[in-house]
Amino acid sequence: MGLSAAGVAVLIGVLVVATVAGLVLRRRDGRVTQGKGTGNGWDLAGIDPDPADRVLLLQLSSPVCTPCARTREQLTALTAEHPDLRHVEVDVAEHPGIARVLHVLRTPTTVAFDRAGTELLRVGGVPRRADLQALSLEETR
Amino acid sequence: MTGRLDPRGVRFAATVTTVVLAVVLLTGSGVLAALQAVVFAIPVVAGMRWSPYGALYRTLLAPRLGAPREREEATPVRFSQAVGLVFAAVAAIGYLSGATVLGIVATAFALAAAFLNAAFGFCLGCEVYGLLGRVRAAR
Repeated sequence: MGLSAAGVAVLIGVLVVATVAGLVLRRRDGRVTQGKGTGNGWDLAGIDPDPADRVLLLQLSSPVCTPCARTREQLTALTAEHPDLRHVEVDVAEHPGIARVLHVLRTPTTVAFDRAGTELLRVGGVPRRADLQALSLEETR
Repeated sequence: MTGRLDPRGVRFAATVTTVVLAVVLLTGSGVLAALQAVVFAIPVVAGMRWSPYGALYRTLLAPRLGAPREREEATPVRFSQAVGLVFAAVAAIGYLSGATVLGIVATAFALAAAFLNAAFGFCLGCEVYGLLGRVRAAR
């Protein structure tokens, strides 16, 4: 059986395109990106900030999602260090409207809001160790 | 039915799948595409523990690697096997019926998804599964 010339060309093409896509995905995964500012997090989550709450970390998760559980562990540890952070996890399968308003396609995505409900930043994927501290948003104090 | 998978086994299966699909593209073998479709079909029908590449991983590699640090949900992975099955079946039909272009295109899509998982640990089918869950809930 001889080699298919078209097959060889397509194989090379697929590997190049998929490698570029994979590198872009890996670069963005777990990194802090700019807030999109498309909704008020407190209103979306249906809660009011307590007097002690400085920042809301709204984690969008789906029911069967391994990285969501890892993100939850990280954010639980972070809020233990910073009691003025409020971590709330919502299931996008139960609340698809929240994901739609915030333009979130992937789970987990963590979106940070200030007390007024303005989006500060977001992280798609499991937050990296270096970017996790950025989520504590110390400078917005 | 559903369980928790060793993510290294999932990655290993994706690597073998990538190699098989690359050989399908190189040789244009509809028979090999059909065999890969069967490999996809078994865990879809019988559950992930019956995955042939998963069994290969458990026999050859898992004993040397020790227990995994974490486990992965099986349902999205099984869904992605079903998506792979559709593409591999279309590829086999294309190659075997002489519609070679159809065979090449279907194999290329399946290869891209398998390669993303093997090389970067990114499961395209699992992402689609998450999105579909939301669409279902929205209705």
